[in-house]
Amino acid sequence: MKHRDDNKVLNFIMDVTDTVTVVWWKFFDWLAVVPWSSLLGISLVAMIIGGALGLGGLMPMLVFASIIIKSLAGGKRSAEIAATAAATRADVEALERRLLEAEMAALQAQIEPHFLFNTLALIGQLIETNPAQATVVHQHLIKYLRSAMPQMRDKGNGKLGQQMDMCRAYLNIMQARMQERLTYDIDLPSELEFLPFPSMMIQTLVENSIKHGPEPKTTGGHISITAKKVDDQLLVEVNDNGMGFDLHADDGMGLTNIRERLKVLYSGKAQLVIEAPQTGGAIVGILVPVDTKQ
Amino acid sequence: MSATAMIVDDESPMRDQLRARLQQVWPDLSIIAEAANGIVAIEQAEELRPDIIFLDIRMPGKNGIEAASILAKQALVVFVTAYDEYAIQAFERGAMDYLLKPVEADRLAGTCQRLQERLQQRQQEKTAPAATNTASDQAKQVEQMLTQLMQQQSQKREYLRWIQASVGTSLRMVSTKEVLFFRSDEKYTLVQTEQAEYLIRKSLKELEDELDPKEFWRIHRSTLVRVSAIAEVTRDFRGRQLIGLKGHAEKLEVSRNHTHLFQQM
Repeated sequence: MKHRDDNKVLNFIMDVTDTVTVVWWKFFDWLAVVPWSSLLGISLVAMIIGGALGLGGLMPMLVFASIIIKSLAGGKRSAEIAATAAATRADVEALERRLLEAEMAALQAQIEPHFLFNTLALIGQLIETNPAQATVVHQHLIKYLRSAMPQMRDKGNGKLGQQMDMCRAYLNIMQARMQERLTYDIDLPSELEFLPFPSMMIQTLVENSIKHGPEPKTTGGHISITAKKVDDQLLVEVNDNGMGFDLHADDGMGLTNIRERLKVLYSGKAQLVIEAPQTGGAIVGILVPVDTKQ
Repeated sequence: MSATAMIVDDESPMRDQLRARLQQVWPDLSIIAEAANGIVAIEQAEELRPDIIFLDIRMPGKNGIEAASILAKQALVVFVTAYDEYAIQAFERGAMDYLLKPVEADRLAGTCQRLQERLQQRQQEKTAPAATNTASDQAKQVEQMLTQLMQQQSQKREYLRWIQASVGTSLRMVSTKEVLFFRSDEKYTLVQTEQAEYLIRKSLKELEDELDPKEFWRIHRSTLVRVSAIAEVTRDFRGRQLIGLKGHAEKLEVSRNHTHLFQQM
């Protein structure tokens, strides 16, 4: 019994101490930033009220203590407060800069050199053995580069149909290289072709799919791309029957860039959704609001 | 000089190309096998014992570098790659030869010349074992280089990077980079991202053990927060520390025994 009472008292004392500490720091912060003129004014009023209430020497003493504290520690404290505000501003600026950098990286690091060199090597080989096929691959490469190179991107590039055409060119090239080890299908309803869609995002998903799907599997694999309208949103999914997820592998620059770009472009209204289907492999989807104005 | 060789590349047009070039510059070389991935290459090399193996680096199954650590013990290995900056850097430092696709006849002729010399050297060693041991020195060098390359590839410590959460009938994969915090909630653990929340069965303790401790901090008996998601730390009127998050309104309480994490910042 007595024990419990002790605890209650102890708790009460601790709460009171806590509150006093907080009130004290609040007072201290206020003291640090309040201008001298206001402090003097408030002191005067406090002393008059104190005098009227007959508090005697208490108020003048409090005022005197405040003035001493402000002159001794006030400068340091207000500098601290100013520094905190500056740090917050710097954080925001750093974030904005990072987003911008992510945007730049997303635009610049798109054409994988490994892909380009391998394709050129293939064309070289085909010129000797199968010139007709060389012409076909060469045309696919031109089509791909026209959409993929930052310098070549024109206004029409932001349409879903064009983005899919570019993926088709890329997949055709990969098929010429990997032969029977890669198959794919693209399902794009014609009414969705002219909806706006950010550039290079589906391409990044397709590259990821090949990296985790047909490329590492000795038996090869299949990639399917689908676009559909779900309520007022446009959903583009890239599905592979590959190795699935390594729970300990970093999700890579590609996906991080897509996430950051979606955040900037659609201010939180778009989503990157990743799923592991029971049948194996991976489904990566991009969900963006459909802009009805267009 | 006659010798046997194997070509390993996952893309068949590339195998055809190298075969054609080799026939041009070294007609006496008989190509006894082709393989489309590292695993098959190791099996076939074991069986057919070629003198030389031309090996692509990026391949399914086992990649060229992994395969080479086994193959280099029984044959002369030449890497063939279209573009692989790290590998090229490494080979430039080491003694092993590499070829760039598309393989040029002149460059390949030089490689073949060196291969012939080395094979001859090997034969001499067999007949007069004490004469020289440069070949075995080279083999050692190659082995060192390969272990170095393999270490580079598997250096990162394995922390949990994906959270699996059931949503209806599908299994959602949530990157840890998206997670703002985890909170234990009776039987389940709540996973909060900027856009959604999920319930998973993995306990907070298990998560704490598997996640990167630099990325996620325990701030409360029931809360793990992603450090890079923290926007600010404030105090309420009772002096408790509260964490504000980027892109999320809710504040998280820091319990007394974790306040040292944010001491007077």
